[in-house]
Amino acid sequence: MTAVQGKAEKSHNETTGAALYDKFKVSAEMLSAEVHRAGNLEEARQLVTQLIKELGAKKVVYAPSELVDALDMKALGQAAGVVMTAENLRQNAADAELGISQLDYAIAEIGTLAGNANSIESRMVSILPPIHMAIVKTANILPNLLEAIATYNQKLGELPRYLTFVSGPSRTSDIERVLTIGVHGPGRLIIVFID
Amino acid sequence: MVATVLKNEIQNALNNDNLTGALGRFGEAYVPAREKAYEGKDFEKLRAEIAQIKASAAENMEALAQQFTAQAEKNGAKVFRAKTGQEAKEYIAKLITEHKVKTVIKSKSMASEEIHLNEYLLKNTDVAEVAETDLGEWIIQLCGQRPSHMVMPAIHMTRGEVAEIFSKETKQQLEPDIAKLVKVARENLRQKFLKAEMGISGANIAVAETGTLVMCTNEGNGRLTTTVPPIHVVLVGLEKLVAKFSDVGPILEALPRSATAQKLTTYVTMMSGPTPAIDLEGNIVEQKEMHIVLLDNGRTEMRDDPIFKQALQCIRCASCLNVCPVFQKVGGHVYGDIYTGGIGTILTAFLNSFDKAGELQNLCLRCERCKSFCPGKIDLPALITELRRRTVKKDGLPLGQKLILEKVLANRKLFHSLLRTASVAQKPFVKGNTIRHLPLFLSGLTEGRSLPAIAEKPLRDRVGHSVPKGKVKAKVAYFAGCLGDFVYPEQGEAAYKVLNKMGMEVIFPIEQTCCGIPASQMGAPEVAVKLAKQNIEALEKENVDYIISLCPTCVEVLKHHYLDHFKDDPAWLARAEKMSAKMIDFASFVAKHGQELKFNQLAQKVTYHDSCHMKRALGVWQEPRQLLNRAGVTITEMKGCDDCCGFGGSYSIKMPEISMAILNKKLDNIEETGVSVVALDCPGCKMQIAGGLDAQGKKVKVKHTAELLAEAIKE
Ligand code: SF4
Repeated sequence: MTAVQGKAEKSHNETTGAALYDKFKVSAEMLSAEVHRAGNLEEARQLVTQLIKELGAKKVVYAPSELVDALDMKALGQAAGVVMTAENLRQNAADAELGISQLDYAIAEIGTLAGNANSIESRMVSILPPIHMAIVKTANILPNLLEAIATYNQKLGELPRYLTFVSGPSRTSDIERVLTIGVHGPGRLIIVFID
Repeated sequence: MVATVLKNEIQNALNNDNLTGALGRFGEAYVPAREKAYEGKDFEKLRAEIAQIKASAAENMEALAQQFTAQAEKNGAKVFRAKTGQEAKEYIAKLITEHKVKTVIKSKSMASEEIHLNEYLLKNTDVAEVAETDLGEWIIQLCGQRPSHMVMPAIHMTRGEVAEIFSKETKQQLEPDIAKLVKVARENLRQKFLKAEMGISGANIAVAETGTLVMCTNEGNGRLTTTVPPIHVVLVGLEKLVAKFSDVGPILEALPRSATAQKLTTYVTMMSGPTPAIDLEGNIVEQKEMHIVLLDNGRTEMRDDPIFKQALQCIRCASCLNVCPVFQKVGGHVYGDIYTGGIGTILTAFLNSFDKAGELQNLCLRCERCKSFCPGKIDLPALITELRRRTVKKDGLPLGQKLILEKVLANRKLFHSLLRTASVAQKPFVKGNTIRHLPLFLSGLTEGRSLPAIAEKPLRDRVGHSVPKGKVKAKVAYFAGCLGDFVYPEQGEAAYKVLNKMGMEVIFPIEQTCCGIPASQMGAPEVAVKLAKQNIEALEKENVDYIISLCPTCVEVLKHHYLDHFKDDPAWLARAEKMSAKMIDFASFVAKHGQELKFNQLAQKVTYHDSCHMKRALGVWQEPRQLLNRAGVTITEMKGCDDCCGFGGSYSIKMPEISMAILNKKLDNIEETGVSVVALDCPGCKMQIAGGLDAQGKKVKVKHTAELLAEAIKE
């Protein structure tokens, strides 16, 4: 067990967990999201470094959070040979190739991610760059949307001010109903699960 | 005046091939895609839940508005209650002036269109630009149009037109390549996002319990609008309120599925109060300014209306537009206002102008298709009829209609003798058994379609009391309906034959008359009630076990509408209920009680047309198919078998152009199957489809299920 694995996971039935992950992957891929999974933090670091290299990015922005910090972005940036920053995002997020942020839940049935996006960093890095990488705990996959609403409903006092749900990359069908990916938001959504 | 404008707009729309092509293709693709999105969901249960949530929210609108206000203010937002559109506009303009805002970005908000916000801000403040950022909205903003659809505002435009518009805006020649055009929009609007000082958005749901605003978008423009600028204004109508956070669940389950056949929109944002932002210099603003404008503008009035308050159950998914055969032909601009389609007609009446809406309701065909799709469980056709009734009450009926309804229709003897006279008077125009051209004022009726001739001898003179050979199983009254009596008596004779063979004693109650639907639809419910009483009396006299009709609309009216007519008249209600319990359509009756019928195998290839009122109002579509199969008929299903044929009773007279356009699509689909017979279960559909086929010189025959069964029956 690594540090990122929470208590909730212990009670989490292994087989249901795997089934939920598989289901999520299928539904998210139908929405053109790319889904990866790392067995632990170390694997995740390698995976993310490799993905950044493959993207050929020069500037990467990120939003600090529990999981993102655990990955150690500064070290990761050095390993991947990119400028890695969480500062001055009105400008930096606008010309970065990739934004990395954490989301709290994944919803298996519909391939959606959900999470607290109160921090301006998390919103800027997930919406301005052409590629968004979302980091999620594998243990936090919920079966369906109603479960997600119910989860937040249990603690209404702690409802995030800006709660976001993301299903695949930005899209439009406004011209002749032809689906086009990547309008104002990112054209690619890469999801990295960490066990 | 208004009427001619509407007629012209209809003609223009029908002549616009881009429009009808795009809408038609979308309409066809929408239904299966939606079906797939709902896979594994219980739509009926879901919409019952939504209807309940929204109805109770409408009931408690004021209390919820207060709770929402208190909660949102506790969260740090400012809430402004705007009674009218004007108040809302003034408030937002004041904010702009106070903060010296130069650039505003907007993400899609129908409420802002409703009150013509952009226009006002540009005129009354120093703001240099109010940029729409939803791609569709931006397109129509650039070319100065109105949205033609609530969810897909630019659905009526082609890539070529968009390329032209964008070329003009960016001053460079752009190709009509959709991916490239989207990119141009991204680049252009990105600059606006980054320098905007204010973002204006709408919301899909407002939760009173938590002060939360829920917003669904696909493009990401909503997230940019609510994230980048340091001031955020949300304009939201009171109808978007719900009581609890958990109410969001069912609405989100249905809204995207019904709107665009997505399981969820790409982005759903739930905002409960202001968050940090970054100002133009790059400094973090710990708490941005968040203003919520709660807009009334006629919504309270709607809530106070005992009938129209149902329209507040609407979640603005626009699926009623997507499935509407009229919308598919004429698009949204014909509706002449912000909200289009069936629900648009109702909203226009309350949020804009009652008079305008009164005219628009003529566009509705009453095919009832929207009703079966609406996730808010709104009975839109009934609301539109009510609108009609109120218009008539206010303005009175046109003289000709008034005469026909009150003097002729309500007087059975006169009505029937006129029909008999007509059968003689029409002689010069009859060729074979159809009328190819009617003279003068009726000529619109026969354009592109011939009408059947009125029978020389109506059904009532041909059949009467008919007793089966052998043991009588039950006593059945035959309700003919006007077309069945005076135009298609042969259908009735066929039905008699089948019923007798089933061991049924059949009685033709001679005092039966028109079911009353034309009167209800024309906005004269008093006449409909009068006719209902006549029919109930005529049928009661015979003391039968069942009442059968070959016309699904007559069944629907006698079975369901009469109960409604008498809901405040207990004595008549009891009589109507007794009759309603006996009323049944021919196909269901034969399927249920005709198990022992024996058929010669017809070995015919037919295609089956589902009549709107048979399939949607009565829920009957399997029975006729099963019966026809038993008679040896092979059914080749056509594309859109349950699409309306465009008849719609008097609609084909009032809106002949639209009626014909819808009919032509049906005829094409029939032709594609290559069959020689169309089977159906409605005399009205027969009149429309057979007339169209005849006018086009097609050899395809149209037969009522009863006729095919009678042909096949073993003597
Ligand atoms: S009336 Fe019903 S179908 Fe039409 S937009 Fe509203 S909720 Fe959707």
